[in-house]
Amino acid sequence: MATTTNSLTLTSTDLFDDSLSISNTSTCYKAGTTIGLDQTTGLTRTYVTATTQFDPFPVVKGATNAAENGKVYIANLSEEITEFITVGIGDAVIGKLYAGDFLWMPWSPKLQHVNDIEITPSVATGMHIEFMAIHNYANIYPDSADS
Amino acid sequence: MATITATLNVSSSDLSSSSLSLSKTMTMTKAGTATGLEFSSGLVRRKLTSTTAIDLVTVGEQMYGTPTASGANKLYIKNTGSSSTDYVDVAIGDSSGDPAPAEELLATGGASFITIGSLYGGDWMIIPFEGTANNDIVVTPSTAETTTVEWMLFFE
Repeated sequence: MATTTNSLTLTSTDLFDDSLSISNTSTCYKAGTTIGLDQTTGLTRTYVTATTQFDPFPVVKGATNAAENGKVYIANLSEEITEFITVGIGDAVIGKLYAGDFLWMPWSPKLQHVNDIEITPSVATGMHIEFMAIHNYANIYPDSADS
Repeated sequence: MATITATLNVSSSDLSSSSLSLSKTMTMTKAGTATGLEFSSGLVRRKLTSTTAIDLVTVGEQMYGTPTASGANKLYIKNTGSSSTDYVDVAIGDSSGDPAPAEELLATGGASFITIGSLYGGDWMIIPFEGTANNDIVVTPSTAETTTVEWMLFFE
């Protein structure tokens, strides 16, 4: 097993009259255990040049990952403040990551097309994106391709 | 405007043969601008005592304001427990309506949702919040014993 820690600090001195300071640290475990997640896609940095939707972590056709729960990181590395990526899951839109924004969330991939993560860039003029999954999935990228 | 920053650190010395050390900081700004987000729900704390799916964060007009749909809103959620076996499933959609929600479908209205993943004790997440119709954040505890969830929405 591996030990992967993740932490988040949220701060603001002027959102409220009083300062905001939230700090969390946790360890990435396999679902329902205290055994560390032991696989990763690696940190991928890609340059997208189309507004075509794509799956950063394709789920293998016909496979299931029902009981598994990993962590996903996605960041928009653009420095142009109007550029964004729309992140979705299945048919739902999670939201937009503008230049410099990131997300960190759990992900339980199930059947292909059911709750695949989807990314759609807002421009075709080129944008750097980073993404990584830390997981114990049996059936995601790079084993197969999705549509 | 306000200056709100979020810093993520992910590290491991043994996940792969080379150490992982990821650090990323974002300043929360309004969509397409350098102007900071200026509104918040405040840090909300909910105690859940059944395994029924509920809409934790709903879209549209709220007592704390009306988040702009399709903006650059950010949502923080934490399962404050310590259990490695009890969890809350987090999904997008709408838990209300009759019949019961049809999980892993997203209808144009009514009861349906798509699961993102599970937050076990101590786990947290930070995601953008689209805030359009039928895009509530739905949580379903795995146990009827008390599960405490905290969340905070930053919005424009």
